[in-house]
Amino acid sequence: MNRARAPANGKIGRASAPYLLILPSILFAFWIIGYPIYDMANMSVHAVNRFGKTAAFNDFANYQRLFSHQLFIGCLIRTLVWTVFVVGGTVLLSVPIALILNEKFFGRTLARIIIMLPWAVSLTMTGIVWRWSLNGQFGMVNATLREFGLQDTPIEWLATSTAAFPILIAIGILVSIPFTVTVILGGLSSLQADVFEAARIDGATAWQRFRYLTLPLIRPFLNIVLVLNFIYVFNSFPLIWVMTQGDPANSTDILVTWLYKLAFRYGELGIASALSIVMFVILLALTITYAALAMRNERSTA
Amino acid sequence: MEHPVRKSLLMWLLLSPLVILILFPFAVMVSTAVKPRVEVLMYPPSWFPSEIRLQNFVDMWQATRLGPAVMNSLLVSIAATVLCLLVAIPAAYAAARMEFTGRKLFRQFLLVTQMLSPIVLVLGIFRLMAKMGFVDQLPALVLAYVAFNLAFSVWMLQAYFQTIPKELEEAATLDGASTMQRMRLIFLPLAAPAIGITAVFIFIYCWNEFVLAMTLLRSPEKSTLTLQTFSLVGGRYQVEWDHVMAATLVASVPVAAIFALLQRSLVSGLTVGAVK
Repeated sequence: MNRARAPANGKIGRASAPYLLILPSILFAFWIIGYPIYDMANMSVHAVNRFGKTAAFNDFANYQRLFSHQLFIGCLIRTLVWTVFVVGGTVLLSVPIALILNEKFFGRTLARIIIMLPWAVSLTMTGIVWRWSLNGQFGMVNATLREFGLQDTPIEWLATSTAAFPILIAIGILVSIPFTVTVILGGLSSLQADVFEAARIDGATAWQRFRYLTLPLIRPFLNIVLVLNFIYVFNSFPLIWVMTQGDPANSTDILVTWLYKLAFRYGELGIASALSIVMFVILLALTITYAALAMRNERSTA
Repeated sequence: MEHPVRKSLLMWLLLSPLVILILFPFAVMVSTAVKPRVEVLMYPPSWFPSEIRLQNFVDMWQATRLGPAVMNSLLVSIAATVLCLLVAIPAAYAAARMEFTGRKLFRQFLLVTQMLSPIVLVLGIFRLMAKMGFVDQLPALVLAYVAFNLAFSVWMLQAYFQTIPKELEEAATLDGASTMQRMRLIFLPLAAPAIGITAVFIFIYCWNEFVLAMTLLRSPEKSTLTLQTFSLVGGRYQVEWDHVMAATLVASVPVAAIFALLQRSLVSGLTVGAVK
């Protein structure tokens, strides 16, 4: 655009054009994302009252209070369990599902649409519907289980600390499958059929073809899906917030839900900002891993 | 080759547990949404109500003030989508088409911001909006949504833009077309499908977003659809589940329908954008 208006000093216009084009996006990111990070980093190393007024530098006392907080370790461990189980379960289930959806069969388009559905529905709505379905007295989960003779006494799923977290993990897997299957399907559709034909002629079994051909070939896609899901699930807030709000007795709180409570319920802004920064650093490390993988992938496909 | 019918049955059989789990919440939504209220809280519950009460939707619409919430969601989502595209398209064009120092850095910058989720920054964003006097204002939500969709949008668009042949524009330049003409007559029409798909993804994100809306909005009349529906459940002693399920149905079905209709292009779009 700049170029059109200034053909006379074309050379300068030409050189600055790309920077002018990317400038708005960079300003936006620094304004809405960069400044809050700076602000929280600043707050996390100062004494801060519950209205957010910062006072003197306090020798990382906020971080000390965070790490020694009685709920910190529990939330950290649950975040790890949550992330590892949801991501692991999602990828383990998504590979066979993608293999099935990559086959030709009657109604494949319909099957693909059904399996993509949870993606379109907001996690908030999914959480609300499951919360109602898992209601001990009137929920349809208990009703259905009883109808099939699988249950004698109704269970209050979300009010039982041993049941609530595994259920959340299962639903977390369910909503992560669509994206994961999509990316893996993309990988599978890029494979060349003749390689598999040759392997078949050479007498490779289906398992061998999967283990020694498919798996290594879709490896880059699996890497990306693992890292991206890790980041999404680590940050996943609405499902848990809507279904249990971390209850019963903080037994389903993970770092993000605890962070929200610290910041907006308990007014612990110092600890909350320290936790935000800790999580930001963890995410940054993951992102660098992802960036390395994506760049490598780009180079290999280019 | 195996028998096609037997194979299809086997495939559906293998997928059936997942298909049932995915359709289960939809069945619950429909079943509860059309039940007369006395049957919603009847033990034992049943899948099939004695009558199909469509009146529930009308009652819900009035009782839950869902109309204004739908309007707010539409306004915010459309404004954020348009603004995001306006900022993202030039940036994506530069990233895809132009050689400049720092291009690689810009792409890395995109990857990093793409990973940041609102929840980790929500406290800082709230303070920023408070400082600008934007708390409880819908524009606050628009700005935040644009920021969190920018990286994804630029990334996806530039991946597409790279697939549009440069030669067409070069030929137009030789024929004496100005930059604006080249953009309007050649590049943008070719890029339109990509822009459309990106717009759908941004719109769905905004329509479904929860954390930022819950944090930045205060008064009920500003609520977006997800927030308003959540407020029918969260922190209430008595939840009117027939209304809640009718509301979730109203909120979910349009987006699910768009998604189902555009499934093929959305999926192929994402594979170009996310994986490339």
